[in-house]
Amino acid sequence: MSAVGQSTKFSTVFLPVLAWLVALVFFFPIFWMVLTSFKTDADAVKPEFLFMFTPTLENYMNMTDNYDYWRFAVNSVITTVFATVFTLFVGVPSAYAMAFNPGRHTKDILMWMLSTKMLPAAAVLYPMTFLTKNFLNLFDTHFLIILVLSLINLPIVIWMLFTYFKEIPKEIIEAAKMDGVSVWAEIKDIVLPLAWGGLASTALLCFIFCWNEAYWTVRLTTTDAATLSKLIEGNRAPEGLFFGRLSAVSTAAVGPIVVLGWFCQKQLVRGLTFGAVK
Amino acid sequence: MSSRALPRLLQAPAVVLLLAWMLVPLGMTLFFSFIRYVLNNLRRPEWTTPSIENWRGFGNYEYVLYKAKDFWLAAQNSLIIVGSIIFVTVILGLAIAVLINRTFPGRGIVRVLLISPFFVMPAVNAVLWINMILDPVLGLNGLAVEGLNAMAASLRDVPLLGHFFSLWPEIEPVSFRATQTAALAVIIMVSWQWTPFAVLIFMTSLQSEDQQQKEAAILDGVGAWAQFRYLTIPHLARPIAIVVMIQAIFHLSLYAEIEIVSRGNGNKNLPYLIGEFASNNIGAASATGILAVIMANIVAIFLLRIVGKSLMD
Repeated sequence: MSAVGQSTKFSTVFLPVLAWLVALVFFFPIFWMVLTSFKTDADAVKPEFLFMFTPTLENYMNMTDNYDYWRFAVNSVITTVFATVFTLFVGVPSAYAMAFNPGRHTKDILMWMLSTKMLPAAAVLYPMTFLTKNFLNLFDTHFLIILVLSLINLPIVIWMLFTYFKEIPKEIIEAAKMDGVSVWAEIKDIVLPLAWGGLASTALLCFIFCWNEAYWTVRLTTTDAATLSKLIEGNRAPEGLFFGRLSAVSTAAVGPIVVLGWFCQKQLVRGLTFGAVK
Repeated sequence: MSSRALPRLLQAPAVVLLLAWMLVPLGMTLFFSFIRYVLNNLRRPEWTTPSIENWRGFGNYEYVLYKAKDFWLAAQNSLIIVGSIIFVTVILGLAIAVLINRTFPGRGIVRVLLISPFFVMPAVNAVLWINMILDPVLGLNGLAVEGLNAMAASLRDVPLLGHFFSLWPEIEPVSFRATQTAALAVIIMVSWQWTPFAVLIFMTSLQSEDQQQKEAAILDGVGAWAQFRYLTIPHLARPIAIVVMIQAIFHLSLYAEIEIVSRGNGNKNLPYLIGEFASNNIGAASATGILAVIMANIVAIFLLRIVGKSLMD
């Protein structure tokens, strides 16, 4: 039994300590960014102030002057919120129909929708620029960014909703149908309340993906609809002069999303693996 | 309304939107890839408007594949970057998932700390790593190397042992913006971001592992490694395949990190090369785009088959 005794000590002391160390190492870059955001730009690059320094809020106070932070933040909020709402608006009826009235081609449609997600964005960049600049006159508008964000997240949202809706017992829906409940009432009064948790986590995940999107939001905007991704990308090489203020603006850009992410980490698995890992 | 018509009607908006999104831009790319189309050309101004009269057949593909030497460099770089990231994240992800798949004090906090990098927006990830961590002078990389050198220098004054330390060379910090190392920086930062993803999926899957089987194995005196090798790994086969393929698809279109780290200097991948071509030669950009689509689809077919199997059960 000595082997068991050894392994218990190993697994009750050493392994948890190792797990904590690994977690701290992974979190360190974020911690470092937050810590640096409270240093002045001058202190941020001095080795003697690595951990000991006089904290200051000036980087946060000056975010508007330094980077025009709020203009980008407002654009991020507008595009992300509307894209999430629009995606759900289109996605819920579609997922409802596929989950409760599957036809012969439902599976094919779902697979095809997913395949649109796998199209490399770069391959269609020029046509998108060309169309929106020359014909539709939509380049650098909120509308365009909302539309594109919705389109790239629609497959994931439909898939997630589909897996949640499928968990609702069919009998409930059939009973409602017998009672002559309209489709709208069926969605509103039965499906949505029962799948509320799934709906909320789908929305949250869609929100996070929209917020973090860094290809279309950068390439299809110049100023009017530019989001936080564009702001950070525009300051890619501060040459060490502005570590403090850059950290502050970065922290403000990712902070809310990281915290939101903590609340939906379990649902994330379903959303990212298209229901294949539960 | 018949019972068939309504479901179709409810699906229609999503289907129509996605169909347009897929067909219109991709169709245009396909068309542009077969014509001569450049944004600026003083000698041949007729090439600056997309028209069927400038038909070039497979000329753009020939140009991209055989004449523009960057294509193979970019394709190779794409594969190296994607392959390395997958390798690192799967190995680390497995190790960490097994490590935290037990009850211990503060497990919830450990999970929260571990998952956080995944939610950092790619632009912030790249700017943070390349400037504040990997910079050879002002980043932690530079500071750490400087510290090590200072330590070695102070040890040289120790009697007797000092002779040994004086043999130590000064360490030069690695600059991750250089052509040879920029890909490494991208691999490091993306692996940092996506290892949590692998951990999360492997952990979810580990929780459904057959515990009775495991207990039986322990009673039979099966060692920890054998348990891992013959019970856990087979159980994780499908999640591993999914992690590999989803990452392959996402990282084949990696862009922000490449742009921020090096602006592609010698560290191009396919999306970056497309962007470069697109500044003038739209025909070549489109041909490269179609080749990238083909590459992504090869991976996607395998992924869709796995996902499809689990779809209806």
